Amino acid sequence: MDHILSVLVLFPAVAGLLGFIVSKESIRAYGLSVAAIEFLLSLWLWLSFDGSYPGFQFVEVLPLIPSFGINYYLGVDGISLFIVVLSTFITLVGLIALSVEKDLKNMIISLLFLEMTMVGVFVALDAIVFYVFWELSLVPMLYIIGAWGGNLRVYAAIKFFLYTFAGSLIMLVGMLVMAYLYHEATGVWSFSITEWHRLILPENYQFWLFIAFFIGLAIKVPMFPFHTWLPYAHGQAPTIGSVILAAVLLKMGTYGLVRLPLPMFPDASVYMIFPVAVLSLIMIIYTAMVAYAQEDMKQVIAYSSISHMGVIVLGTFAMNPEGIAGSVFFMLSHGIVSGALFMLVGVIYDRRHTKLMSEFGGLAHVMPRYGTIMGIMVMASVGLPLTMSFVGEFLSLAGFYQVSHTMTILAGTSIILGAVYMLSLYKKSFFGEVTKEENKNLKDLNGKESMALWTLVLVTVWLGVYPKPVLEPINTSVESLVSFMHKKAITKEAKDIIKPTVIKREAE
Amino acid sequence: MLEPISVSMESLNLGTLTPMLVAIAGGLGILVIDLIRKDLDKTLYVMFSILILFVDLGAVFGQSVGERGFFDVILIDGIAILSQIVILVASMLFIPLALTSKRFHEFSYPEFFALFLFMVAGFQFMVASDNLILIFVGLETASLALYTLIALHNRINSFEAAIKYFVMGALAAGFYVMGAMIFYALTGSVELFKIAEVLEAGNFANMTILLVGIAFMIAALGFKLSMVPFHTWTPDVYEGASATLAGYMSIVPKIAGFVVAMRVFGFLIQSDVVWVRDILYAAVVITMTLANIMALVQHDVKRMLAFSSISHAGFVMAAIMIGTTQANSALFFYWIMFLFTNLGAFAMLWVSRHKAKLWDNRFDHPYEKFSGMIQIKPVGAVIMALFMLSLAGVPPFSLFWGKLYVMSAAVNSNFIVLALIMALNSAISVYYYLKLIVYMFLKDPTQNEGTVYAQNTSKPLQTIIGFSAFMTVFAFVAVDPILEIITAYVQASGF
Repeated sequence: MDHILSVLVLFPAVAGLLGFIVSKESIRAYGLSVAAIEFLLSLWLWLSFDGSYPGFQFVEVLPLIPSFGINYYLGVDGISLFIVVLSTFITLVGLIALSVEKDLKNMIISLLFLEMTMVGVFVALDAIVFYVFWELSLVPMLYIIGAWGGNLRVYAAIKFFLYTFAGSLIMLVGMLVMAYLYHEATGVWSFSITEWHRLILPENYQFWLFIAFFIGLAIKVPMFPFHTWLPYAHGQAPTIGSVILAAVLLKMGTYGLVRLPLPMFPDASVYMIFPVAVLSLIMIIYTAMVAYAQEDMKQVIAYSSISHMGVIVLGTFAMNPEGIAGSVFFMLSHGIVSGALFMLVGVIYDRRHTKLMSEFGGLAHVMPRYGTIMGIMVMASVGLPLTMSFVGEFLSLAGFYQVSHTMTILAGTSIILGAVYMLSLYKKSFFGEVTKEENKNLKDLNGKESMALWTLVLVTVWLGVYPKPVLEPINTSVESLVSFMHKKAITKEAKDIIKPTVIKREAE
Repeated sequence: MLEPISVSMESLNLGTLTPMLVAIAGGLGILVIDLIRKDLDKTLYVMFSILILFVDLGAVFGQSVGERGFFDVILIDGIAILSQIVILVASMLFIPLALTSKRFHEFSYPEFFALFLFMVAGFQFMVASDNLILIFVGLETASLALYTLIALHNRINSFEAAIKYFVMGALAAGFYVMGAMIFYALTGSVELFKIAEVLEAGNFANMTILLVGIAFMIAALGFKLSMVPFHTWTPDVYEGASATLAGYMSIVPKIAGFVVAMRVFGFLIQSDVVWVRDILYAAVVITMTLANIMALVQHDVKRMLAFSSISHAGFVMAAIMIGTTQANSALFFYWIMFLFTNLGAFAMLWVSRHKAKLWDNRFDHPYEKFSGMIQIKPVGAVIMALFMLSLAGVPPFSLFWGKLYVMSAAVNSNFIVLALIMALNSAISVYYYLKLIVYMFLKDPTQNEGTVYAQNTSKPLQTIIGFSAFMTVFAFVAVDPILEIITAYVQASGF
């Protein structure tokens, strides 16, 4: 199928529109089947993807605003392929476990629109199309947080929207400058990201453009000090909102880093390694400590998310295939693991309407199946070998080790600190005696929840033991990306740091 | 004996006057019909007005670029044609809003429609001339008609609004005349192209006096375009006028004003008189930012839209300040995109117009009115949200493309700081647009009756709203053809 990417993008949107007509009673079945078909389509995309070819595949180009060089330009490579699959997968799993009763129809329609924007961001190769999906994703998310969230939901939703919107407008100015520079250099208007990659800019320009793009992306990641919207958004969002936010929406930021500033401004990226690494380290260590201080289970996971995203950013700025491929892989594993963790907190919240750790204790006795899955996912989050996170975290840090030993060792504390806060969460809520009367008769996981969660466990372990089918296509594309950056870099310093070496697959 | 002066028909080139004459004849026709038959109702007048405007539009399309007529005071260049098209299309879209289901007595007067057509003719005169006197005549014809139209909305607020607008407008007219007088004193001409020639030939001597003249001009046009600090009348007048007229005022008089500003300041900017650009730069930034901040604290949606339209006008004035062909095309493009969205937003307010003030002692459309609208009127809420998102510049809705194009014009002329200021202003503005969305989608309803939001609805109104919603969502399809036409016209007139 030549237009599989368009189908992937438009199918959920069309289904969302038709969803308005579907009756309230059958909307859940409708949403599930749409998400399942979308997931199967993305699997088909994976199957027909040629893992040995580093460039973009399934490319579609249609002139949208030709006089201004804006095209409807889609394509996937090894870097985006799996994030697309992750998006459709998490949407499906999230829908399976969805426990919302109020306004279910609006929720499902919002989710379908959100799915369109997520897939859209990851397959767009035209900056304006990318920007359109990027901004559009805020709207359903605003509604999901604001309509189904906790007490402070409206504040959290607006904060989320304003932060990201403001940041991305600065990125938009950067895009316009980029298009202008491209026009100056070639005489043609173009917003095509692949064309922009080819443009070699003087360092000075690279630096400012890097900053413009970085602000837009960093707010989404969220990098310290732009991270303050995230705990609110997570704290107030309904379970499904947190799952999608952590699993996919944050990845837009890190994916954007790999796709936009790195290949576009290799010299500026190298120049910025140190500041970005410092910010990442603050993210990793500071938020891990904050996570330990939380009393609310969801906040622990929210802060742990920020901490892990720091490792992803660090891996990305390693500027070598290990680091970047590792961070792309870590994006996937973080998506699965944090998605699962938020879902797990949602399970207990549905039963007790509280997420405070002090309210629980000894849950492992009352809900053994729940305790098992939580245990596995806590281990995965900590980065235990044989889980997906280990592969990603290890490769990211191994990559950055080549840049700076000290910083990598500091970043490695994320594993230790992660173990501290995650295990203390587990200890406080799952071990010990059942102290509270209300907790004695809690129901264990039901069928829907088990199904959704076990799927995530399976993927975590499968790709933790055997990451090759995913890691290899990522590697192919990342290696070509890094050698491209190496070739394009103009300063000697950048040429030295960007190392296009062949990756050794330690994780296998 | 005096020599007889002969004027040939060819030299008058009356073809250039046809569009305005059509509108004026149409207005007179309505008055005559009213003299003969008293019992005709508004549907006839609305449709008659649309037809007149349609013929008018045809006459505009029939004109060719680069003609002059009527003792050379009429100038038909690209932007004259383009802005007349925008004015006529906007008028054709706004006038059906008179067909409400509730009775508003201003629409039952045939004079309303006659005045409306005279006003349109006034705007057409204003944009189709580079003669300062004719511009003034057009400006005043249009403004006087508009004052009356506002006052016809029979409420205390409206009288107050009309008088306020009239007094301010008279002051602005005075400033305009002072400015024109100084230009005339300096150059001995009231024709802008001659003024430009003389000034350039004299290498901009008498800079101080010129500065005074330009200051008067900026004040006069600033009133009409509601640039800060001449904007104070805007929210009150919008509040007092009916939502239809407020929407109309946020679009049509502005585009006419932009064209005049383009002509008056265009040659000064192109001849690199630095301080003109500096003054305009400051005015643009202040207008954008201050209006945005004022909009943040409003409690009434209509007043919020009034301040937001000031901010949009500031955004677009930046295009005049930049002064390149791309920027001037961007101005028209932005305004066309703005037209559909703002038309829709004000029409939505108009539809929910309620005679009794149920929510607030003063305001018709406080934010609280819209709480929980999604649960009561889901389609209405979604459409209103679309307009708000478009105004905020969320892609892919219409105004995003406008903003993109204006900002890109700024970037391409090396006004990167300005582009950043624009971006930040868009970020501020999103807060107050979002506020309405939050009320509509995230709050619980205060009443259970859906009729409140559709008090005033009727088929024609729904059609207009549907049309603007469609244009807002699918604007990206039309971006390229519209830009092509605009750029061709703007280039043809040398801006």
